[in-house]
Order: sequence, then structure tokens, then C-alpha cells
Amino acid sequence: MSPARRVLGYLRPYTARYGAGVGCLALATGFSLGIPWQVKEAIDGLRGGGGALAFHAGVIAVLAALHAVARLASRFTMLGAGQWVEHDVRHDLYAHLETLSPAFYLTHRTGDLMSRAANDVQALRALAGFGAVMLASTTFTFAGTLAAMWAIDPRLTLWALAPSPLLVLLARRFNHQVAVESTAVQEQLGALSARVQENLTGMPVVRAYTMEAREIDAFGRLNGDYLARSLRLARTQAAFSPMMGLISGLGGLIVLWVGGMGVLDGRLTLGAFVAFTAYLAHLAWPTIALGWTLGNLKRGLAAMTRIAEILDTPGHVDEPTEERQEAHTVATGWGSTGAIPETVAADGESTGAINQDRGPRHGAPNPQPPLLNGPIEFRRLSFGYDGRGRALDDVSFTVPEGATVVVVGPTGSGKSTLGALLSRLYEPPPGTVFIGGRDVRELPRERLRRSMGYVPQEAFLFSRSISDNVALGDETAPEARLRASAETAGLGSEIERFPEGWATVVGERGLTLSGGQRQRVALARSLVPEPAILVLDDVFSAVDAGKEAEILRSLRAAVAGRTTLVMTHRLRVAQEADRIVVLDEGRVVEQGTHAALLASGGLYARLWRIQQIEQELADD
Amino acid sequence: MTETDPELLGKAYDSRLMRRLWGVTRPHRRLVLFSMLLFPAVAALELLQPWLTKIAIDRYILTGDWPGLSRIAAAYLACLLVLYGLRVAISYLTQVAGQQVMHDLRAALFAHLQRQGAAFFDRSPVGRLMTRVLSDVEAINELFASGAMAVVGDVLTLGGIVVLMLVLNWELAMVTFALVPVLAAGAAYFRLKARESYRGVRTRLARLNGFLQESLQGMAVIQLVARERREAELFAGLNGDLRRAQFRSTFFDSMLYAGVEGMGSAVVALLLWYGGGQVLTGALTFGGLVAFLEYTGRFFLPIRDLGAKYTVMQAATVSAERVFGLLDAEPGIISPAGGAVAGLPGAAAVEFRNVWFAYEGEDWVLRDCSFMVAGGERVALVGPTGEGKSTIVRLMTRAYDVSRGQVLVGGRDVREWDLGALRRQVGVVPQEVFLFTGTVEDNLRVGAGAAAQNEEIERALRTSRADRVVASLPNGLRQEIRERGHNLSQGQRQLLAIARALLYNPSVLALDEATSSVDPESEALIRAGLEELLRGRTSVVIAHRLSTIQTADRIFVLHRGQVRESGRHAELLAQGGLYSRLYELQFGGIGP
Repeated sequence: MSPARRVLGYLRPYTARYGAGVGCLALATGFSLGIPWQVKEAIDGLRGGGGALAFHAGVIAVLAALHAVARLASRFTMLGAGQWVEHDVRHDLYAHLETLSPAFYLTHRTGDLMSRAANDVQALRALAGFGAVMLASTTFTFAGTLAAMWAIDPRLTLWALAPSPLLVLLARRFNHQVAVESTAVQEQLGALSARVQENLTGMPVVRAYTMEAREIDAFGRLNGDYLARSLRLARTQAAFSPMMGLISGLGGLIVLWVGGMGVLDGRLTLGAFVAFTAYLAHLAWPTIALGWTLGNLKRGLAAMTRIAEILDTPGHVDEPTEERQEAHTVATGWGSTGAIPETVAADGESTGAINQDRGPRHGAPNPQPPLLNGPIEFRRLSFGYDGRGRALDDVSFTVPEGATVVVVGPTGSGKSTLGALLSRLYEPPPGTVFIGGRDVRELPRERLRRSMGYVPQEAFLFSRSISDNVALGDETAPEARLRASAETAGLGSEIERFPEGWATVVGERGLTLSGGQRQRVALARSLVPEPAILVLDDVFSAVDAGKEAEILRSLRAAVAGRTTLVMTHRLRVAQEADRIVVLDEGRVVEQGTHAALLASGGLYARLWRIQQIEQELADD
Repeated sequence: MTETDPELLGKAYDSRLMRRLWGVTRPHRRLVLFSMLLFPAVAALELLQPWLTKIAIDRYILTGDWPGLSRIAAAYLACLLVLYGLRVAISYLTQVAGQQVMHDLRAALFAHLQRQGAAFFDRSPVGRLMTRVLSDVEAINELFASGAMAVVGDVLTLGGIVVLMLVLNWELAMVTFALVPVLAAGAAYFRLKARESYRGVRTRLARLNGFLQESLQGMAVIQLVARERREAELFAGLNGDLRRAQFRSTFFDSMLYAGVEGMGSAVVALLLWYGGGQVLTGALTFGGLVAFLEYTGRFFLPIRDLGAKYTVMQAATVSAERVFGLLDAEPGIISPAGGAVAGLPGAAAVEFRNVWFAYEGEDWVLRDCSFMVAGGERVALVGPTGEGKSTIVRLMTRAYDVSRGQVLVGGRDVREWDLGALRRQVGVVPQEVFLFTGTVEDNLRVGAGAAAQNEEIERALRTSRADRVVASLPNGLRQEIRERGHNLSQGQRQLLAIARALLYNPSVLALDEATSSVDPESEALIRAGLEELLRGRTSVVIAHRLSTIQTADRIFVLHRGQVRESGRHAELLAQGGLYSRLYELQFGGIGP
């Protein structure tokens, strides 16, 4: 779809507003053109020795009032519509961004996306709002003023417009030259800013090699060149900008001379002469603004093109629709933390696909689908991110329902990829990742993710209150459950000590949390919806050892009965797992219990030894 | 986001700042004064045009004097041409003045930044400093281009109009002026409201963009907790808020413009009615009435636009404040005044004497750390990460000053050294090789400057084993470095760094070995090059290579901010203390 059609598509819902706005503009132009006409009548009346001065003054006052009202109405309707268009585009953009995968966010930097969502959307408003006003108003003013001038004296009109072709020619030449020269200025500014950035980032080297004087020289050269280019642009602008005034002044001069002679000859009344001069002045502003109006149109369409690039990036592929299957209920022991799950265990043996039916709440428009449980299985899974080698290579293992499996391995061994595929942040190949015996690709994302408490490696918190952050996955969760989850994650007492407790806002202007605290908030967040499946990706990396042991104790009680997959490089976590899977360069190199793996003397045993030394050093 | 916080807009005029800005213009003072002289001329000529029209009507058109009308037309033309010339001159001269001042400010800022110590850069993000040097300086130019200068022009024009109106007909002038307070009050009211509502727009926009940015960064989390719908609702709320605020702002903005325009028309009506009467009684000529109409048209626009200029001035003032604030930041580390140590012959000894150091507050990185490296001795530093190894290197060149104790180079406290001399004596090779944009040769000459002979470069390249790297490049020494050297391999960059240090030829070397591994062939070259580099110099090496610790005269084991063990490799291993464990961890080949 062309950007212009796309823009029109966004304007369509506001056709009535734009119609009314254009109508008001036509009226406003008419009223404002009436004023010089009244001046003409009044002056001619005066020349006739009296006339209805008060009448004309009164009409002018009325016209002025009507003009103001019509102009206001046109601005409210059209600028308002432009703001609605901006609102709608932004709305669509956000909705679409929510459907895009992490792969998209890896290749598109936040800064670039922000610039589209902020600057480009605003450029679009400029087009749909003020741009539309200017376009209509310029058209009406040109047409109306020329008609009024023609009505007074066609010959004088032609004379007055004589310098205009010159204006058009000069403007084109000027625009071209300014474009060339300002590009040169922009390029040099780019070079200058690259130089400053390089200098600032390389400052340790600059200092070490006492390069300061050299750097100042080099910057000085670029700075001088920037000055020279800027002055070249300034010279062009200084020569051409006042040219507009000169040429419109020439029009005025012609009217004074030719029109004045018309009055002398009696072909023109004095009032007509004065009105003509006023009309000519009417034309000056739209002429100057014409360039802006056209540039604005171009910018707006370019902005639409850039926004469309995002809107046209395919989001989620169609979700599988699933027919309701028979419901089971699953045992979820919340254990010693004291929180009681809403649903009570009934059919614990079920290793089947679908668990627990919270049941369609009567009257609720959107019944939540039942949550999933069951074993997690990776079946001959190989996966590589776009354009890079294989992150996982023929990985097979199972997390039995209710069991805890820990995946360990060096950095870059593919641990995190397992979680990303399981939660369908990235799409696994068909037939490789299963939950409860069903390929995750056949499960709707929302249901899959609601069923799973997945804590990614990087604990991301929003600049909202602690309680909002913890309740992110289930806003309706009772406060007791929030507290219990925080307690399990080892946060309980700390939150009470924050300046405003649970209401403390995280982030720039609020509380700064340590890496470990952030991780624990993210952990608590994943526990709140009481999922039957927990996936924890290195959630203790920034938590100190003592705290880690404490959390592990409470977590073990909390995860009892849940199907849990833990990725970690801290082997202490692994010690008590039902099973340990050792990954190296994307392959499963060992599997077994802690004791068995230690005895076999492989990679796990070596990693274990390293961590012991580190522990000793830390305790030293 | 605080940088653009609308709440931060301060005063539009600050006499202290203005005096300082005036001081900055000193070298271009004549230019500024001259362009200021042109403003009254332009204002006078602009006001002359309606007056010429008046004369044309009264003396020639209404009396039928054809040659007279032509003479006036010629005068009008001359007036237009001179005006054009003056406008060109003013526009160009103010730009020249503004651009020169910006050029000077940028140069001053950049040079000032070069004098700052490392602690300053820890506090100031690169992005913020770049904003100072580039955008803030640019904003100050607005003072010249459309701010102060234009206001001077406006005020002159207004004054001229007032005088001319009074001369033409003082009664009619009074009628017009009677409306000025109404207009001024109305404009002030709506301007205030418009600014208030605009601030509302800015705050809401900042809120919306903040939310959006966070959503983009945390999209994976939103998707993982299946919260898309709820977030979209929150966003819709902010989006709607913004739209309403925008409309409010539009309302007041439009009222202001329509109000001024309407007022202008009301004055026309008033003039026709009252002035028409004056014409009938002969107190005013026709031409006078026409000139009056034209003057009032020009009278109201500057009053309306004063507010917009005020905003420009405000922004420029804030920028000026930031720029001067940066220029006022005294460099924390400077050479001592007079009698500074300016260099010593031979390989200097390095001593740390009871050094305490913290980057922030009481967070000690080094605590009572003492050691001595003899002249020409080769010392390797080992220890867990974050135990102060890099800090030792930084203190040796006075990138930071110690909190307590002393660092001595050649037996003299580094604070007694001339800073440049110290840094020429003590060379640093950081872990991450930083190459600058430019040719390979430029990067080698970095410290040695243009004085280095070509033979010296050749020799340094041969000694460091980097000659093969240069030979393999299509343009040899003239090869352009792109993207900070990322068009070269890791091994090539390290070899070039060694050559660069050789050419710099310091007597003391502090070296932070790269951790990233390179292919075996490059590794062998680097090892040989390093051996040459360290020969005959006092050296402190943060060791990541087995060969480095094995060939070191002594190894210092750093732990908890102190040297805990020292000795040769074999001795320390035999002790079975910290070192033996570290050795297994870092060099035992079982690292993660």
C-alpha cells in the first residue's frame, strides 16, 4: 500500500470533521476578503464627501468577528482531527509492537523504534493537522484574493503578478542550493559528533598517550571546516531569504505606480487602489508558506513509510485454535509458604495434557482457558538464531511432571535458548518441544505463557510500584498471595524496609534496586499466578551465596509438585535436583544426579571444582 | 529524559549569563556591534514605505502630478533595494557572529574536556557531554539568529511606529493605542494559558514516551506474562490523555492567534470610523489614513510574536547555563604549579605507600596497599576480578588521585610530577585495544607525534612483530581504520597496540593483558612482541597469560585491596596459598 493511501486510510474516519473544517476555512477566507472591500467602499464614500462611515466600520467589525469564529472552528475541527489521527496511528503501532518477537527487538534498536514512534508519528500529525489546514487555507486564499483583485482591475492584477514567475524561479534555485549546502553542513556535523564521541570513549587512551594536544588540533580542523560550511550556507540564506521581501515589495511598487496612475486617469478609485494594496499583502504569507506546506507533505509521507515498515513486519503467525479438551485438576502443593492455592488437588496422577479447569466463570465474557501441566520434553532439538551458528544441537531430555531438572553449562552453552523456545519467544522447529505431550507450536501463546512461570536471565522491572511489578502476571491476585510469593523469593522483609513499602516505585526517580533484588522481584512475579510449570533462567546470578541458600530452601518448598526447569551456572542449585543435564556448546554432554556426575569426572566435576575454589577465595 | 524536562525551563533573561555570553563574543565584538547598528536603519526604511505611499497619495495621486508619482515610485524602488542590501548584510553578519561564537565555544568545551580526570568521565555519560558540545551550543546560536537580535529589531520598529503615528495625527494614534492594553492583556492571558497547556502536552508526551520505551525494552516480559492486552489499555490511557492535552493546547493557541487577528480588524474599523471623521474635518489627509492603516497592521504582529521569542530565549538561556556549567567544572587533576618533576632518565621505580582508594565514598578498592617495583623489574599482578588490579594501573598515571597514602614514580610522588611528563614516563596499554579513526600510521604515531622518523616506525613494527600485520593490509600503513579497528582481527589489533607502545617508548609500562583468546599463531607473535616491549623497562602487567607469570620477576597476588603474596611462580605455587588456588582457577585450563 502506498504511504499516501495509508494516510488517507487513517483520515477516513474523520471525513466529516475535515469536511466541516474545510467549509469553515472557505467561510473564513470569504469574511477576511470582505474587510478590504469595506475599506474600499468607505474611502470611496469619504471621497464622495461623507458616506456611511459608521455603517462600513460596523460591517468590518461584524466580518472580523465572523472571521475569527470561522477560523477558530476550522482549526478546532482540523487540528483536532489531526490529533485523532496521531492517536490512532500510535495506537496501532503499539498494538503491533506487542505482537513482534524478540528477534525483531534484537535487530531493531530501541532508539530507532522510539524515533519512529515519537518523531515520525508527530510528523504525521503535522501532515494530518496543520498541514491540512495550510493546504486548504493556501488554496482558498490564492483563489479568493486573485478573484477579488481581478474584480477590481484585471490589468492591474496582471501587472502586480508580473514579478511572481521570477519568485518561483528564484525559490527553486534557492531551495536546491540550500538543500545541497545544508546536507554538507549536516555531514560535517556528523563527522564532528563522531569525533567527539570517539574522543570521549577513547579518553583513557588519549590520557595514556598524552594525545590531548593532537586531539584538540584534529577537532579544531573539523570544527573550522564546520564553521566554513555553515557560513557558506548562511551566505546563501542571507542572499536569498530577503529576496522574497524584495519581490513582494516590487509588486507593491508596481501597484503604487501603475495603480496610482490609474487613479490619476480616473480608471481606478482611491478606495479600490487601497483595497488592491491590501489584497496584495494577503498573498505574501501563503506564498512564503507554500514551501513549508509542500515540505511538510513530503516529510509526512516519508514518516508514514517508516511507520509502515514496522506495521508491515509480520507479528505472530496465526494462533492455533484449540478445541476444549477434557479437564483434569492437578496437584499443586504450595507447601510451607502458607498460601493456599485456589484449586485443590484432586487428580494428582494425571500425566496428561490438560490440567485444572478454573472453569468458565459465569457471566465472564472471556473465560480463561485451563492451564497446562505435564512433563516437558525436548526431542532431538536443534536450533540456531538467524544468521548465527547452532545454539542447540540435537538436545533431548525430559522434565517429568512434578520433577526438578537443572541444566548447567558454561556461558554460551545454550541454556537460555531452552527457555526461549519453551515459552515460544522464539519458534522451535516442529516436533521438538513438548509440554504434556503436545507440541508447544500447537498451543496458543497466551495459554502457554499463562501456564508457565518463566523468569528470564535479565530481570526486567518496570518503573512502577513493587506491587505492580510483582502482580504483573495476575493483577487480580489477592494481596496475601503477593506477600507469600515475595516471601518465597526471599524479599519479604526487604520490601517492608523500602521507603514506601510495596508502593515504592522502582527505577530512575524511585528506588534503585540491586541486581540481586531485581532478580528476586522477577522470581516473585513468576510465582504469583501459581503456575504448575516453572522455568528459572539463572535467577541467582546476582544474588549472594548466603541469600541464595535461603531462597533455595523456601523455593524448594514452593516448587514441590511443580514441574521445574532451572538453568544455572551455579552448581549449588543443581546439587539437590532430581536430575542434572550438562550442556556444552549446545550439546548434552552429561546427564545424571549430582553424585553420579561428580563420580564420572567429566565437565560437571571440573565446573564443580572451579566453583569450590571461587567459594574458598570468597570466604578467605 | 531529565535533559528535556519542560519543567526545567528557567528564566529567559539572566544578566549574569548575558554578561558571560557578551564576554564570549569579545573576539567578534566589532561584527556584533556593526550588525546592531544596521537594525535601526532597517527599521527606519521599513517604516519609510507607508510614508512614501502617503506622500504619493496626498501630493501626487490626488493632485494629478504624473511625474511626481514616478519620482516617488523611483524613491520607493531605491528604498526597496537598499532595504534588501541591509537585510542581506544583517542576516549574514549575525550568522557570522553566531557561528564564530559557536565555533569558539565548541573548541573551548572540547579542550576543557581533554583536561578532565577519569573521575569526571565516570560521572558524566558520553551522551550528555555530546549534547553539551553539539546541541546546547547550537541552541545558544538561537540567541543571535532569532532571539535577542530580532527582539532589538522589533522594539525599534514598534518605537518608530508609535512616533510616526503620533506625528501623523495624535488623536487617532491615541485611539489605536487605547486598544494596546486590551490586546497586550489578552495576548498575555492566552500566551500564559497556551504555555501552561503546552507544558501539559510535554509532560504527557514524556510520560507516554517513557512508557513506550520501557515497553520496548521489556516486551519479552510483557509477552511472557501474557499481559499484552492490559499494557495496551494502559498505553491507550496515556495516548488519550496526550490527545486531550494537545487539544487544550490547540484551543489556547488558536484563541491567541484569532484574537490578535480580530483585534487588528477591530482597529481597522475604528480607524475608518474615527479617522474618516478626521479626514472629513481636514485634520487628516487621505494618505495619512492609508498610512495609518498600514502602520497598525505592522504594529500588532511583533506584540503577538514576543511570546514565541521569549520561549526561544528561555531554551537558549538553559543551554547557555549548561555550557557554562561544564566550562566551570575545574579539572580535579592538574600539574602542580612550578617546580614539577619533568622526567627522569632510565627505568624508574614504582612504589605504592599505604595507598587507600575508593571510586566512591568509603567503598575501598585498595586498602592500605603497599609494594615496591624496582627499576627494570617485571611484575605480574594476579587476583580475582574486581580486586583492584586495574585500579593500580590507573593510579600509576594519575588517572585518579589516591584517597590516602602515596604513589611514587622514580621516588617522587606522582602529584609532584608534571602530568604530561608522568604520562610520557609511564605508558599504559589497556586491555581493550582502542584504535582511532584514521590510518594505521596515524594510530601508531598517536603518542610519538609527527616527530617520529619512518625508520623508527619500521623498527617498532619489526620488533613488535606487527610488520606482518601491516604487510597483510592492502594499503599498508596507509590503511584506513574503520569502526574503531573492528575491520582488523583481535590479534592484529593487539600487535598494533604493542607497536604503538614501543614507539611511545615509556620507561615504565603498565599493561592490562587482553583476555580474549586469539589463534595460536597470533598468540606466539604477541608473546614475542610483548617480550620485546617489556625488555629494559619497569613493568606492571595484569596477567592473563601463563607465559607472563612464568617470566615475571615477581608475582603480586592481590586480594581484598592488598598484596597478599609475592614471589616467583614456583615459590608461590610451593607455598600452596591463595596463589596456587588462583593459578588452578585462571591458568589451569578449566575456566568456564
